[in-house]
Amino acid sequence: MSNYIIETFNLSKVYHLQKGNLIHALDDVNIHINEGEKFGLLGPNGAGKTTMISILSTLIQPSHGYAIIDGINILKKPNSIKGKIALMLGNDMIYYRITGYANLKFFCKIIGVKDYKKKIIQVSKEFGMENWLNEYVERYSSGMKCKLSLCRILLSDPKILFLDEPTLGLDVKTTKFIIDKLKHLDKTIFLTSHNMDVVDKLCTEIAFINNGKIIKYGSKDDLRKLYQKQIKIFIGIDDNKIKLKQELEQQDFITHISIEETGLKIELLERDYYNQLFPIFGKYKITKIQEIELSIEDLFLKLVV
Amino acid sequence: MRSIKKIRRIFSKTYAIAEKNVRIQYRFKYVMVLRYFTPIITILMPIIIFDSFFDFNANFGPWTPQNYMVFVFVGYIIMLMRNMITFIPRYLLQEKYWKTLPALITAPFNRFYLLFGYIISEFLGILLPFVLVLIAMLIFFPISIPTLIIVILMFFGVGIVFSGVGLFLGAFAISNENYLYIFDFGARLIFWLSCITYPFQLFPTLVQNIINLNPIYYLIDIIRFTWIENNIIFSVIAHPIHIYIFVICLVIFPIICVSMFNIIYKKLGISGY
Repeated sequence: MSNYIIETFNLSKVYHLQKGNLIHALDDVNIHINEGEKFGLLGPNGAGKTTMISILSTLIQPSHGYAIIDGINILKKPNSIKGKIALMLGNDMIYYRITGYANLKFFCKIIGVKDYKKKIIQVSKEFGMENWLNEYVERYSSGMKCKLSLCRILLSDPKILFLDEPTLGLDVKTTKFIIDKLKHLDKTIFLTSHNMDVVDKLCTEIAFINNGKIIKYGSKDDLRKLYQKQIKIFIGIDDNKIKLKQELEQQDFITHISIEETGLKIELLERDYYNQLFPIFGKYKITKIQEIELSIEDLFLKLVV
Repeated sequence: MRSIKKIRRIFSKTYAIAEKNVRIQYRFKYVMVLRYFTPIITILMPIIIFDSFFDFNANFGPWTPQNYMVFVFVGYIIMLMRNMITFIPRYLLQEKYWKTLPALITAPFNRFYLLFGYIISEFLGILLPFVLVLIAMLIFFPISIPTLIIVILMFFGVGIVFSGVGLFLGAFAISNENYLYIFDFGARLIFWLSCITYPFQLFPTLVQNIINLNPIYYLIDIIRFTWIENNIIFSVIAHPIHIYIFVICLVIFPIICVSMFNIIYKKLGISGY
């Protein structure tokens, strides 16, 4: 038996559109996630992220392939994994017309939480929602709705959390709060997002998906190493910015140049070409040369766009 | 001991769905009031027409000036309960767009609880007018306590059948809204031919033949007969086909409808939000 908590085998999903057109939302996706891992699935809109999470959470069935979650084939025994997973699509999935407490009580009863009052107090305190529970959810801010939704999915103490764009539309402070909370949860997290920052801060394993295919997959550090050969540099310069840009544009090994407020940002094809820049820089009054670390956003742009 | 625990668990989950539905419905109180009064409009015309026809000594089978209010009031309760067919798909549609349905579907609970939860919440929703109309019926045409209990159980049975149909339509509400409207039209047609507001005897022979094929008609008719005959044994002997159809519908409808819900949902999934 495998040690992975989530494994997919050639998972595919084809949607039939109007006029007989087909769309491959997922195309032979194979991933494996260890228990306790924070996994991020990154991709642009329409890449297949929500389809993937919907299949894994048994909401929809794949057209081909299968997935094993905690040793159970989700196609054969979908009901057996329901107590082990929790799903959050977007940042709500709660009833707006009743209070926060009524929401949590309802979901506690549905999933069979024994001492629901204690559990509600515990999870709501975790997310700082204890003073808001008696208010109607429709009066909550987006951040509060998201927090209440996170309270909801933690009620059953699931092993795996499936989160689809949980921080969409939230401010920086709330996003940071939620990432910090999720980071310290002792649970496997399967997160889909197109917010690079969230994935970068929370996840240890990342897969890039585009047009239903996994185009790169591995640990965050491994993926970074793949692109370490390429280098991004900031050059601080007060005068002659345009002239320097024009001169650099003539070099074949420079792949991209952008003008910033206090200088230029350039990308080199390989680190080895770094030294060839100094004779050029010598002609100008350079105030700063700084290597910029590649972010997940950079990787994403290189892979997907 | 284990089965008692299981029953308690089922009751707890079913009650949770009912409680949540009632809370959501009561959020807007005037909607509920409108829901009670709309069926009155539908029965108001038959009351006026009946009254005028009886002035001319017209004959409508067993319906007389003494008992026709039973016919009309049963019609009102059925119209209230008919909302189960309309409202269950509407609730599921709301849950789909609120994205709470995926939260329910991925939770570890049986879809039968969903059906019974909806039945209980609908009954709670119509409890007040239901009780008031029953009292009015008892004033107009008194019956024995055993007959009253049987009639209430029959109404509950009709509620199960209607909720089953509602859940069947609800499957389309979450999977393919196009079909929802087609089947909803079909349901309206069936109800139109169920003699809810006008007696069977009023229709021409051709329409009567079509009505005879409609199981919903038998469900409603047997409740009326049970009330005015006020003798359950006599009603069973006098209307065996009605009783057979009632029992068959009560057993088969929920099973077929929940199975259809599962099949449709499994095949088509949630779409449209």
